[in-house]
Amino acid sequence: MTTKTSLLKVILLGDGGVGKSSIMNRYVTNKFDAHLFHTIGVEFLNKELEVDGHQVTLQIWDTAGQERFRSLRTPFYRGSDCCLLTFSVDDSQSFLNLGNWKKEFIYYADVKEPEKFPFVVLGNKVDVTERQVSTEEAQQWCQENGNFPYYETSAKDATNVAVAFDEAVRRVLALEERTDHLIPTDTVKLHRKPRSATSCCS
Amino acid sequence: MVHVYNCHPFASQQIVQVEQEPGLVCCGGGALFVVATGGCKVEAYNVEQEGCPFICRFATMGTVKSIQHSKMGDYLVTIEEKNSATYLRAYTNWRHQAEGKARVGVRLLGHLLRGASVRGGVQMEIIEIPLSKRPVAVACCPVTGDLLVGCEDTLVLFALRRQNQQSLNQSQQILQSTSQNSSQNQAQSPSPNQNFLDFERSVILHLPKIEPKQVALCGGYVAVQMELEVLVLKLDASSDPKTQEESSDTKKTDHIDDQADFMVLPRHQELLGDVAKDCDIPVSIENTGLEDGKGQYTLSYVLFRRFTPDFFQGCSVEETQLHSLQLYPLYTSNQSVPLEEPACVFCFFSLPNAGYLYSLKGGVELLSTYQYPEKVLKAVLTDHLLHVITKSALQCFTVRCAAVAARIVDPYIDTTMKACPPCSMEVCALRIQLFIGLRSVCVDGSHVILLSVADTETPEEPERTPQRRRLKLKEHTLLTGIFLAVGIDPATTPALESFLSRPFLGRKWTISSPKETSPAGHGWNLYVVDSVSPLTLYQEMVEYSERYAETNPQAQSLRHLLSEAHLFLRASLLRTEPSEQPRNIEGEAAETLQTDTDAPAERQTAAQTDRQEVEEALRHNCAQLGDCFSRGSQKDCHLALPYYRMSGLSVTEVMARNRPLPSSPHTYGPGFLFYLKHFLFEETEQTLSQEAADDVIDIFSQSEPSQLVSVCASPSMINLSPAKTLQILIHQEDTCGVSVLLTITMATMMLCLDDLPQYTQLMERHAEMLLVYRFIEEPRLLLHGGVGGRHTHIRPTRLTRQLAKSQPGLLVAAMVALHENSKVQLEQADHIFKELGCENCLQVDFWEAMLMASSQEAVIQELLFRLVSIYIDRLTNTTSDTHLNEPHTPSRRRPLKSADDLINSCSHYGALYPWLTVLNPAHTTSSQHQEALYKLQSLLCGPSLSVGSVVPLMERLSEETLWGFSLHLLCSTRRGQYDRSIEKLLDRCPQAIIAYANHQLQDTHMILWWQKLLPELCNRTRAASDNSILLAALKETLVVVAMEMSPTDFLELIPDDGTASYFLPYLLTCSQRHLMA
Repeated sequence: MTTKTSLLKVILLGDGGVGKSSIMNRYVTNKFDAHLFHTIGVEFLNKELEVDGHQVTLQIWDTAGQERFRSLRTPFYRGSDCCLLTFSVDDSQSFLNLGNWKKEFIYYADVKEPEKFPFVVLGNKVDVTERQVSTEEAQQWCQENGNFPYYETSAKDATNVAVAFDEAVRRVLALEERTDHLIPTDTVKLHRKPRSATSCCS
Repeated sequence: MVHVYNCHPFASQQIVQVEQEPGLVCCGGGALFVVATGGCKVEAYNVEQEGCPFICRFATMGTVKSIQHSKMGDYLVTIEEKNSATYLRAYTNWRHQAEGKARVGVRLLGHLLRGASVRGGVQMEIIEIPLSKRPVAVACCPVTGDLLVGCEDTLVLFALRRQNQQSLNQSQQILQSTSQNSSQNQAQSPSPNQNFLDFERSVILHLPKIEPKQVALCGGYVAVQMELEVLVLKLDASSDPKTQEESSDTKKTDHIDDQADFMVLPRHQELLGDVAKDCDIPVSIENTGLEDGKGQYTLSYVLFRRFTPDFFQGCSVEETQLHSLQLYPLYTSNQSVPLEEPACVFCFFSLPNAGYLYSLKGGVELLSTYQYPEKVLKAVLTDHLLHVITKSALQCFTVRCAAVAARIVDPYIDTTMKACPPCSMEVCALRIQLFIGLRSVCVDGSHVILLSVADTETPEEPERTPQRRRLKLKEHTLLTGIFLAVGIDPATTPALESFLSRPFLGRKWTISSPKETSPAGHGWNLYVVDSVSPLTLYQEMVEYSERYAETNPQAQSLRHLLSEAHLFLRASLLRTEPSEQPRNIEGEAAETLQTDTDAPAERQTAAQTDRQEVEEALRHNCAQLGDCFSRGSQKDCHLALPYYRMSGLSVTEVMARNRPLPSSPHTYGPGFLFYLKHFLFEETEQTLSQEAADDVIDIFSQSEPSQLVSVCASPSMINLSPAKTLQILIHQEDTCGVSVLLTITMATMMLCLDDLPQYTQLMERHAEMLLVYRFIEEPRLLLHGGVGGRHTHIRPTRLTRQLAKSQPGLLVAAMVALHENSKVQLEQADHIFKELGCENCLQVDFWEAMLMASSQEAVIQELLFRLVSIYIDRLTNTTSDTHLNEPHTPSRRRPLKSADDLINSCSHYGALYPWLTVLNPAHTTSSQHQEALYKLQSLLCGPSLSVGSVVPLMERLSEETLWGFSLHLLCSTRRGQYDRSIEKLLDRCPQAIIAYANHQLQDTHMILWWQKLLPELCNRTRAASDNSILLAALKETLVVVAMEMSPTDFLELIPDDGTASYFLPYLLTCSQRHLMA
């Protein structure tokens, strides 16, 4: 039986309409719905996977991208293990906002060492023909902002979605191994063992 | 001493198919929640269904440290940890999380915005509850679903808010209108069963000196448990915030002073009620509710208990820690749950070696202390039982909650009408069921959920087939251990050893093993142990008790076991009000997922049948308890009465149950005799058959012969066989000597046998006065019913009827004595005489006799009036000049007292005025008529009768006859109408005038001699100068006037036309007398 289980919290941020919920749905349920509702507040889905011998529960947090939902989503940045900054390749404004998303995340997540925090950048909707953001532009931004890995994805045809999440997990695990900080969730003693029977009165 | 019975409160056990080792377990609302060890996942199982099928699985947001389910609202609350931070979260709509694939909404407390739920799909939602301090313990209120969170030095109360669907829709309008897919939204209407929950921070209690370990909340009661202390507080909504602020202020300063001066040494303490505020834990209250209509909360102390480690021998200091804090509500069946506050609230907490159960409402009191045979890890209180786990056993102790509740529900308990075992009755262990390596226990309804984890050092043997044998073996070891613990070595006692070798896990214990045995070797198991119904357990206890009854029916254990069984039934009756549970919110949520919902009506009738069964069992149990107390010792024997009454058994049935076996030497118990006496002496409506009545006579002649007379006098005994009873009474007289009561009773029997000569002989054995005294002692010899102010009709006995015939004087004397001793009221006596058919004779004799005896003014006036009325009746109904012609006079018997007797012996009858003899006819009337006339005249001459009040009655009498005239004259004279009376008398009977004047015109009325009588006589003689009667009267008058007046005044009176010589002698006498003076 597997004894070590990690719970990894991965949060999807990005402008409204870039396809965060679709990416999550594609990854967890392998389905695509072109007419998804706007996300209100914060929702999450879990996905179990095994990475390099580690049993991992990936908790994927989907957030409301629209500005008016800001107060509903920001309290839940705390405790994230990885942040997927998402934009849509057919929407240059969503790309330009990446920096703001990064700032907002670092501010509210209360990340102690922001420069070491694992971000992954996703350029979604590559299935669309009229691109507004080129691959080079995106890669350059990633380079300049902390050498983040960049994946061009399509939730609609499943391009690169799983790969991107795998990378996110690997990043987190690598970081944790380095800091020896894999959450050893099974070491919590839920039932305190009775103290030894050698106590004085017995 | 703790009784340990070996009952079978558990029917079966199931093993829940959990894949990963469970870490935390909790249950509620028919579901079992399992958090895998160290996991971030909750799995829910349905404990209501066979095999405990899996319901759903959902992820938590961090490592769960603590989990609780709230029945109200059907939500889960967790304390979680992630990346060294602690969170408090509530999980709602969890039932909609099938397979963990749906998206889960997350929001902060108060931000009630709906995502998918509002659009139609039902979504699980997590509410994050931010706290400024680290949460340590949580508790949900079973009454309201409110949430209490214990932090390091504060307790925070969150009120559960259920959002109204409509208002929520309105608040969503704006959001939806901006939504792109609004057209789709309208197509899907939200489910009406939606459970929109939110919490509102309503009160913060600051307890700066404590470190809570556990908290509990129930209907305004807040309990907090520290390592060695328990504090219970009560929060009340108050409209007056001022007083509360003041009190908390003073409290604070006081305590600060205390702390500055003294070092507080912990000592064992128990502070109940208001006194608990003297504990050194200051509490201040901070109201934070915004939209709370209730206003401010005030705080009062309810209970404080502190233990010191050294107080408990046999446990190390580290082991002396409190656990299992619980506040427990109990509703009674006439309450509508959950609208009302529970009738009772209990507080339970436990040390490793002892548990304590308090009742909080209506005065705090310690109900029971549970002495455990071995160290207890956790305890859970339920309606019927206290379940505790030790490392190796699940033990069930009885509880007294139902005894408390029963007394609240029914004020007639603890009277002669109803009974219930006392709250203080010692608790017992019903069952010790063995398990290996128990870790935790929780209870949902009739399901006890146990987690067992085998010690890793001693791995469990892998093969599971001979489970039964193994369990048996373990049980043997444990019982041996118990015997050893109480100082008995079973090895030295062969009987015990053979007892221990018998299998204890009886017929009722079935183990349904899982279809696929879980992989061998994992050392843990999650059991759902199902309790048998209270009725089944009750039946077993009855069977059990029968064994006691055979060996030693008077044993304390039998009574104890039956009392325990009684409380079981009471507890289920308290709870079996139909249709109270399914209508709760969580029930509705569950129904949407469960298709096997019956029609409510069917459920209701089923519940009613159940209730009838339990009620029937309770009657049966009461009968058995009645038997116990009826046969037992003197102590508590009076309880036989209420238990037999509650059993619904007839007195004949109770007698049959108490009939001793022909061979057995045992006689009737004091409880039975108490019951029987109560029945015979207090209850008058139930008549026993001859057989039963004879049995009663037998019982008393054997057990309490001194009561025989009273027993025979009971109206219930009217059918007894007189001959048989007479024999017993004669025997009684032979052994104990003659007594008046016994003689009267024997005479009554003779009467029943129609043996009048013997009857008369017996009645003549004693003086009438002695008989009267005994009638006062035992009025039921004469009167049945109506005793003790009951509404039953009073009626004469056979003896009374006979007395009316043969000894009317005795009967009247007895009735007077009974009345004067408050044994009978005047109206009741009237009724008796009416029944006897002597309203016009004996009843009048009774009234006359009452006048002689009574000293109550109201009664006297009433009787005087009645008698005047009766005398007038008699005068009008009899004719004055016939002797025997009295067609409708009901009795020819002479009255007991003649007028002369009454005048001589009764102060209310006055001596007849002398002038009446002139008016009364000599012997020309019937004696009855004459007696009535004399009596009436005597009353009118007497001092007590208020003449004014009888004037209307007098109008019925004509003045034509002389006797009639005499009565009217008496009345007008008594009313001071002398002038008129003189005139009338002169008109009708002038020969009486001088007698009248001599008697009446005295003192202040003397003046009437010359002012009225003399002129009147002068006038009348002038008109009829040859009337010798008038002339004689004139002469007599002149004599009197001459004596009383001065000569000049006298001269003035002499009429002008009179002959001087006629008056001269009187004038001379007058002058001479005057000169001498």
